[in-house]
Amino acid sequence: MKVTFHKGGAVFAEDVPDNSNLVVRAGVKKYPFPHLSYGCGMGQCGKCASRVLVSAQALPAPNWKEEKVLGERLGEGFRLMCQLWLSHDITLEQA
Amino acid sequence: MPELMNHEEFRTALENAIKGRAATASPFSIAWANGTLSREQLCRWAENHYHYVGPFADYLGYVYARMPAQYTEAKDFLLANMYEEEIGGDRHTDLLIRFAEACGTTRERVTNPDNMSPTTRGLQAWCYAVAMREDPIVAVAGLVVGLESQVPSIYRKQTPTLRDKYGFSDEEVEFFDLHIVSDEIHGERGYQIVLEHATTVELQQKCLKICEIGAQMRLLYTTALYHDYVEQRLAQAA
Repeated sequence: MKVTFHKGGAVFAEDVPDNSNLVVRAGVKKYPFPHLSYGCGMGQCGKCASRVLVSAQALPAPNWKEEKVLGERLGEGFRLMCQLWLSHDITLEQA
Repeated sequence: MPELMNHEEFRTALENAIKGRAATASPFSIAWANGTLSREQLCRWAENHYHYVGPFADYLGYVYARMPAQYTEAKDFLLANMYEEEIGGDRHTDLLIRFAEACGTTRERVTNPDNMSPTTRGLQAWCYAVAMREDPIVAVAGLVVGLESQVPSIYRKQTPTLRDKYGFSDEEVEFFDLHIVSDEIHGERGYQIVLEHATTVELQQKCLKICEIGAQMRLLYTTALYHDYVEQRLAQAA
């Protein structure tokens, strides 16, 4: 499964195992470390919020924490990476 | 005579030290995953679990103070782990108390040390002793690899039951959800630290032994919960 990550004008892409959580991976210093910003890992701080550019429809519906933290930004395609276990190729962007 | 292992061999040996003693095998964990525990028994679990995990930042604080200054990444990991336990978001023990209250007990009962079993007191004392007295790398092996790294696999089995069988809300089971993520990170970082810094045969063997003991301690703790709160109730009902 390929994760493509846009950050600061650069594009990074690497394969990660199925059912990966990108905050867990960054936390153990694997790709998308050091590019992905994150904080609490518990869906509160919003620092891992990323806009999904490709494959948003393959993700599960936002959970209560994402609804609470992201609000209207959900409609702009943002998701909390700490709340998602990915199983499809995906393209993301973080400011 | 044991020989010095490379990272791959040592990692496998650490994982094997836990296997077979993992707390998922305890009758209390199995009953939980099967949804056969009563809410009252879940209350008793929360009243005990608080006294095991509540001081986790304290345990790590002792290890932090004794970790050699040049092991910067290991020290930073311990500090970040403490921060996340206490003030990174909601205090983790507050989330445990939220679940406990949803089960039917109170904050006062949960925080009162008189409500923990002697076995829980033993586990807590073991954690303090390891943190204060063992080589800091051995302490990371015991507390983080032996204990904390088991948490995601335990909660992955238990959390769906809490929602589906008991009808707890997402907010009430947040304690479990968050640890599936946070302890996946903590456990893996713990492995990385131990693999990097246990560079002698003696240190590797001590790490393996303490992982084995840590896993035994957690299994003992959860097995005792079954004995104290499930079996005794069944005996009384008979």
